[in-house]
Amino acid sequence: MEKISDVINRTKAYYCVDCGKCTSACPLSRFGDYSPDGLVERALLGLPVQPDLRVWSCLTCNRCKEACTYGVEYPEFIRGIRSLASKEKETGVCAHGELFSLMTLFTFTHEREQERLKWVSEDLKVSDKGDVLYFTGCLPYFDIVFRDLGVNTVEIARSTVRILNKLGISPVVMNNEVCCGHDLFWNGDVETFKELAARNIKNIKDTGAKKVIFSCPEGYRTFKLDYPEFFDFDFEVVHISEFLSEQLEEGKLELRKIYKKVTYHDSCRLGRHLGIYDAPRKVIAEITGDFVEIASNKENSLCCGTSGWTNCDGISEEIRRERLKEGIDTGAKIMVTSCPKCLIHFKCHMSNRKGEYDIEIVPFENLVARAMELEGINEG
Amino acid sequence: MKDKSVLVIGGGVAGMQASFDLAEAGIKLCLVERTPSIGGRMAQLDKTFPTNDCAICILAPKMMDCYRHENIEVLTLSEVIAIEGDIGSFKVKICEKPRFVDAEKCTGCGDCARVCPMGIKSKFDMDLRVRSGANVPFMQAVPLIYSLDRDKCMRCGLCESVCGKDAIRFNQKPGIVERDVSAIIVAIGFDPLDPSGLTEYGYRRYDNVITALEFERLICAAGPTGGRVIRKDGSEVKRIAWIQCVGARDTRDNRPYCSSVCCMYATKEAILTKEHYPEAETFILYTDLRCFGKGFQEYVNRAEGDYGVEYIRGKPGEIREKEDKNLEIFYSPTSDKVEKLEVDMVVLSTALIPSEGVEKLAEILGTELDEYNFFKLKDPYNPTETTRTGIFVAGYCQAPRDIPECIAHGSAAASRAMEVVLGGSYDRIT
Repeated sequence: MEKISDVINRTKAYYCVDCGKCTSACPLSRFGDYSPDGLVERALLGLPVQPDLRVWSCLTCNRCKEACTYGVEYPEFIRGIRSLASKEKETGVCAHGELFSLMTLFTFTHEREQERLKWVSEDLKVSDKGDVLYFTGCLPYFDIVFRDLGVNTVEIARSTVRILNKLGISPVVMNNEVCCGHDLFWNGDVETFKELAARNIKNIKDTGAKKVIFSCPEGYRTFKLDYPEFFDFDFEVVHISEFLSEQLEEGKLELRKIYKKVTYHDSCRLGRHLGIYDAPRKVIAEITGDFVEIASNKENSLCCGTSGWTNCDGISEEIRRERLKEGIDTGAKIMVTSCPKCLIHFKCHMSNRKGEYDIEIVPFENLVARAMELEGINEG
Repeated sequence: MKDKSVLVIGGGVAGMQASFDLAEAGIKLCLVERTPSIGGRMAQLDKTFPTNDCAICILAPKMMDCYRHENIEVLTLSEVIAIEGDIGSFKVKICEKPRFVDAEKCTGCGDCARVCPMGIKSKFDMDLRVRSGANVPFMQAVPLIYSLDRDKCMRCGLCESVCGKDAIRFNQKPGIVERDVSAIIVAIGFDPLDPSGLTEYGYRRYDNVITALEFERLICAAGPTGGRVIRKDGSEVKRIAWIQCVGARDTRDNRPYCSSVCCMYATKEAILTKEHYPEAETFILYTDLRCFGKGFQEYVNRAEGDYGVEYIRGKPGEIREKEDKNLEIFYSPTSDKVEKLEVDMVVLSTALIPSEGVEKLAEILGTELDEYNFFKLKDPYNPTETTRTGIFVAGYCQAPRDIPECIAHGSAAASRAMEVVLGGSYDRIT
């Protein structure tokens, strides 16, 4: 079993010189009492870090890792500590009352079969077997839980399929797709995560898919970086923005102009975790012609304030307020995001402060669908 | 027959010292410099630490000593393009780029520069001054021979018409020079890192974030602003901060090494700011203050005690530009709290990296480089011997070091080259 010294060694936490660069880059520290290097230093001094509730506050947004010049893998350090803690039945506080972890387990352990494909409307062409698979992730579930926010997350899935249909692809969608395990993994439950991963990999292999397309950055990160740590598979994983930017380069993507000023919010998983900054920008710039960069962008991008549904609090709201203010300061009317959780977090913040923010948060896939004149064919 | 001369590549302070020592020992040598003037990076500095001596005042006599020495042949605008042979009998091929000016005839009067209508950013002044298309890089340039920028020249012929010595040569071609030498000394120095890739600090994106070498040109009385440290809008600085280790001690881009001189030059630059503007507030944000040399700690103590330079431990995580173009620096001095420091100018103490073209030169010379592209030593106990026998190394291109150390290293390399030339002791060296 991994000990804290193993976590320190594995994440090169011993390289920390306590220079404070991570802390001054960290979105949490900016608004609250938090310090990545403070926590690392405590671990290095042999002081207990596990019971510190702040372990569960970390957004794992990678801003600190991106800032660190000494190569300390702080988000991985936090994940390691959380793993240790969760073995002692310590957990963070889920902002939605354990609903999601229950849902995760439900999709996975319950004897009854999911009815997860109800979102597939009649106009969509999907398959059971084929080369290209679309991993839908939590979108159908989010749609139920956050219906009051009007996030309409299934429309992201529908947009994705419509875009693929238009490009002549009728993607495989799986009814037996299970949770990718991202949140469990980052909250320390590696064992359940591995079971989910094994199930997903087996089910995907059964469809014969060679390429798996993601709209969710978290699912994509999990398949791209975390599954290969535990399992072998030979299907290719790709994010829809990368796929579309390739199609655009090959001249296969026809996009109608949307004459509005648009900015883009980098999600931490697609951006800092995977380094995909340019692909979505390329597609968006093609659509709008008036693309403006937000003040903190790409590797310095500000987070949406919560990850893994854990510890959403006043600081999270401060971060959202700051981020939305940055968006509005660009003069854009639309802020595109590629992550459904960012969408939910911003919408939630805005819905409690009606009229304060004059900006629309639009999922990347919906914007593209709009530009391909595919949006909302069968809405509701 | 073994040739009794030496080739020195690089006319900076290390290369000049090596050349002068060899020449004084009676050895003939060829000093090859890539730019139009010898002098190197030191010529760009305003003062030197820890004595605040004027850099060019120390350097200019050394440059003249070198240039006028009967045993030294200086080839400027020149690069080594091939070598053959081995220790004792290297055949070196050097490409001499055209100046488009007859070096024998030019008296350095500058008439051509005064009439040339072209405006080109001065590389010597870190792009902070627009110079003429006919130029010498700086006033004390050695040799004082003008050269023309032909790639941007409109060939209007004004320079030709005013030149009283009939020295303009529009059709000059590159020349190949060959020299036979027994030993080679490489002293090609460093380049400052362009920090625009470190996006957290906003270099090139923010108006008033500059590099330390740009600051040197601003604070220099002979520089583009006559020694005034001005912001982009022309106003003079009142609150200025240095950020240390920018791109150095940074594993993100394989540069974990310490550049070795930045703690001291930042201290010097802060002191100079205080001397020019006693009312200005100066801050140095550092990770560790590395004042390891003779008189260094005392220098920092003076900066702090006598000049009121404020040293703050903390590496900033972000800089934000305000509407008035002031800068907000976010840093965490105690690693539990984020502080904000507002200044009107930020100077980045950037990493110093091996010179552009070092890989190509190493390939030509057949010498190895280390993982950061510094010249690799054969073993640590022969601090000037490269991996190839008969080729020695001096100065910053071997490892980060300050000016006095570069000079000592230059002398050391010269003495090893002397062994080859005078002693002919190839066997012992091999």
